Amino acid sequence: MINSRVFWVLMGVSIFFVLLIVKLFDLQVLKNEESVFYAKRQQNKTEYVKAERGLIYDRNNILLVYNRNDISFFLDNNFIEAKDRPVVAKKLSSLFKNKPSHYLRMMRVKSSTICVEKKVSNEKGLLVKNLKLPALYFREDPTRIYYYNSMASHIIGYVDDKLNGVDGIESSFNSTLKGEDGIRLIERSAGGRMITVREKDTKPSIPGLNVQLTIDKKLQTILEEELINGVKNYNASSATGILMDPNNGEILALANVSDYDPNNYSEYDDFRRKNRCITDMYEPASTMKAITLAALLDQNLCSENEIVNVENGSYRFRDKTIRDTHKNKMLSVRGVLEQSSNIGMVKLIQRMDDEMLYKYLRGFGFGTTTAIELPGEVKGTLTKPSEWSLVSKAFLSFGYEMSVTPIQLVTAFSALVNGGVIYQPQIVKRLLNSSGGTKLEYQRREVRRIISQKTSDRMRDLLASVVKNGTGQNAKLDFVTVGGKTGTSKILENGKYSASNYNSSFVGFFPVDNPQFVCLILLNSPKVGGYGGLVAAPIFKEVTKRILISLQESYQRDSQKIKEESDNVQFIKAKSVEEVKPATIKNVIEYHSVKQNITANNVMPDLKNYSLREALVILTKLRLKYKIIGSGKISSQSIVPGTQIKKGSVCKITCTETKNNVLIN
Amino acid sequence: MRIDYKLQDKFDLWLIFPALMLICIGLAAIYSSTINHPSVQSNFQRQLTWGIISVIAFFIIYSLPTNSLKYIGIPAYVLSILLLIAVLLIGRKVSGAKSWLYFSGIGFQPSEFAKIGTIFAIAAFLSRSNSNIESLKDIAIALAIGLLPVALILLEPDMGTSITFLGLILILLFWKGISLFGLFVVLSPGFVALSSLFGVYYFIGAFVIVLFVLLLFQKDILTSGSILALNLGAGFFTEVVFKALSPHQQNRIQSFIDPGADPLGAGYNAIQAKVAIGSGGLFGKGFLAGNQTQLQFIPEQWTDFIFCVVGEEFGFIGSFFVLGLFMVMILRILKIATLAKDEFLSLVLVGILVIYFIHLMINIGMVVGIMPIIGIPLPFVSYGGSSLVVNMLLLGIAANIYRTRKNYT
Repeated sequence: MINSRVFWVLMGVSIFFVLLIVKLFDLQVLKNEESVFYAKRQQNKTEYVKAERGLIYDRNNILLVYNRNDISFFLDNNFIEAKDRPVVAKKLSSLFKNKPSHYLRMMRVKSSTICVEKKVSNEKGLLVKNLKLPALYFREDPTRIYYYNSMASHIIGYVDDKLNGVDGIESSFNSTLKGEDGIRLIERSAGGRMITVREKDTKPSIPGLNVQLTIDKKLQTILEEELINGVKNYNASSATGILMDPNNGEILALANVSDYDPNNYSEYDDFRRKNRCITDMYEPASTMKAITLAALLDQNLCSENEIVNVENGSYRFRDKTIRDTHKNKMLSVRGVLEQSSNIGMVKLIQRMDDEMLYKYLRGFGFGTTTAIELPGEVKGTLTKPSEWSLVSKAFLSFGYEMSVTPIQLVTAFSALVNGGVIYQPQIVKRLLNSSGGTKLEYQRREVRRIISQKTSDRMRDLLASVVKNGTGQNAKLDFVTVGGKTGTSKILENGKYSASNYNSSFVGFFPVDNPQFVCLILLNSPKVGGYGGLVAAPIFKEVTKRILISLQESYQRDSQKIKEESDNVQFIKAKSVEEVKPATIKNVIEYHSVKQNITANNVMPDLKNYSLREALVILTKLRLKYKIIGSGKISSQSIVPGTQIKKGSVCKITCTETKNNVLIN
Repeated sequence: MRIDYKLQDKFDLWLIFPALMLICIGLAAIYSSTINHPSVQSNFQRQLTWGIISVIAFFIIYSLPTNSLKYIGIPAYVLSILLLIAVLLIGRKVSGAKSWLYFSGIGFQPSEFAKIGTIFAIAAFLSRSNSNIESLKDIAIALAIGLLPVALILLEPDMGTSITFLGLILILLFWKGISLFGLFVVLSPGFVALSSLFGVYYFIGAFVIVLFVLLLFQKDILTSGSILALNLGAGFFTEVVFKALSPHQQNRIQSFIDPGADPLGAGYNAIQAKVAIGSGGLFGKGFLAGNQTQLQFIPEQWTDFIFCVVGEEFGFIGSFFVLGLFMVMILRILKIATLAKDEFLSLVLVGILVIYFIHLMINIGMVVGIMPIIGIPLPFVSYGGSSLVVNMLLLGIAANIYRTRKNYT
């Protein structure tokens, strides 16, 4: 009896064991690959590693835009038990200004991961990490820092939360600056937390290229300050200014007042954010007379000293009456330009047929974009001769019935004085890779020759006399010859020309013999003065004066330093770099030839008390990668001064803000 | 009588060695599954403490006079019932079931200790000198002794442990020598009840089969009628019990019927467990290197799903080894049960065997996907003090009986 029971129990047990073993064999050995596939699919995730965004420099290597390595903190809700929440909230609120209830409210959200603090500075991030909260994890979340705030904001533009360029260079060079994101394979837990990174499956990110702009920070500052002064002095609604090198089309400064701070772009309205130099058009009025006259001279349809009857300031042309502000009976062609006579221009332009004028206007670049590498440029308006009325040509000759953008006018004016060649406006000088080497040098781009060298020479002379004897006298300076043309156009308001609101402009260049700068100043609706000659020309004069002073200063500094240089080079050659006092290095730091001497030794210099920009210049020269923590002056560095440098190693530099000297430059 | 003084004669290494091995494997698996879990990292230490306590408990029970086992049967049962009632009144609810009692900070599960009492009580009842297994009355009383704790445990509700008790009652009756008809009477309501879970048509089908088998036995109309009524009742009772179950237990039963229907719900564990074990392969991924385990894809893995850790990190070889250890232990207990001359002791041994085996069967069965997901620990391996101590106590009883096997002639 009992033996049969034993048999049955034995059978039952054995069958089940065999069943389990068969099933295990099936699962673990036969179907192993299937399970491995499923396991990998849910455990491994490819994650993109954000490439570091490129920096932006001015033409003299002054750092304008960089990235601050901020950290964002997240809480994994699954890992906090309800009873621990008040403790966590309290700990967090001890470091941040929010109350504990703020964090408790956050933790009540259903989602498993909550972002508790965004973009915490690195120093503070360390404190947060020290809390050692198991549920807290972080992600690098760099912040784009526009060091000089609103300076050159319309050129530089801004980025959104995800560091994608939205406007300006940030947008048009977005793909260049962005670099190439890397890929890493991470293992993640059931809760979605990242656990480990599989190094061998990781493709590192390629940092974005650095962009060196054509603008000069010093000149940009001068232009912005003078525009602000101008807006204030003449009670204008806004102002725009462009400073261009006519010999290659490089933009040295470009500003619109009011502007915005790209660090907090969302706080500003669209008008302040847009780059009106390229997005807004206006009727250029008298400034166009220079262009018209150049076309006439180029076609030999008139000469400077020819006398024109300007009808005492009022002339009936077809069904319109043309008036002059400065009433004269007879004027030479030179006088027509000096006095900005509309009547003179109308009479002269009748010598040219419609097609020819249109050809010149198109040739100077009106009615089409200049192809400047900034987003949002508009074409302006210039209708075809077939659509012109009988008076169109007359009005076009003194800058009505068409509209232009400031950048178009500056580009055209540059051609007028540079020997007759239209150059594409350039905003980017070169692209640099992250170690400082030049990746791409932008060459000046000739679009077309529009007038002859001779015409250009004659125009320089004519425009110089406008400043010397004519409407532009307010732009006259003692120590440099200036040429230029004023312009005052009534603003179209609701389809009618306003009686009181003008666009007052002055476009000038200097020195007359060998133009290096072309500058357009445009004031919108000035309540004081009104006319371009009274409003824009004085601003131009101030800008010119300060540019010249600044040039002279740097010239003097240069010549003084050339003397110092020879001494210092000797000094450095004699002793090793460690023995050179920081102050001495600092003196010579500006100096390219000497800089190479410092860095040639491949020894880490002491960067303490250096400005961030100076430090970056040195580090770049040494071909070191760098991580910047904080801002201000360098307070410590990760590579000990005096040690031999390994190429490509990373130097962490920590900066602290000093109250009396916050400027990098 | 020849007295053999070899160690193996008094102390069955075939029992204690596999148990100690399993405890060690369990500790390793618990360590591996909790190392990345900051909140439960202390589990390894606790289990280690419980392991030492349970070994001491083993030796205490081992050294007791075997005769005393007969006297602790009824008091142990009564105490178990009282504790099971107490847990319903003052117990603490942990993950949906009110199954924990706390005495001065130390918690334990009365349902674990009730196993000992129930084994003893049924064994004592069935081994009375005047017991008659052929009588429906004796069967009914034996069933009643067993079903009382089952009912109390179902109220907690703890489905897994209840099933263990049902198996225990059944096998003890079987071991006592119940007739085929008696077995049919006991089993058929369970069969009908199980079928009713799958739906009305399965219930009707099962009922027809029972009716057909009943006709084959050719019993009188009264007996047949009452058995049919019992079956019908079982079907409806199951419906009631199923509705009384907590939603997560209902889900677990349903997810076994169709595991793919709700991959992130109750079926989630089943799928993750299979993926973990399957990805282990022949040799496993290595200790602490099982991704499924370390990345916490299986919730509370150190308790009921501990076998996944073994399967993933030690592969088929490791799983086979663990099953082998259980096999050795179970066959050894079966061997001692056949050696034991006393019927009571023999029944107790079979009871112990059944407890181990059913836990093993359901636990590993659910992990590899041939059993529904029923929360039940793997003996000696899963994390849990009560379970470990009770299993070692049961093993101590088996070793005790082995020690004195020659005294009963």
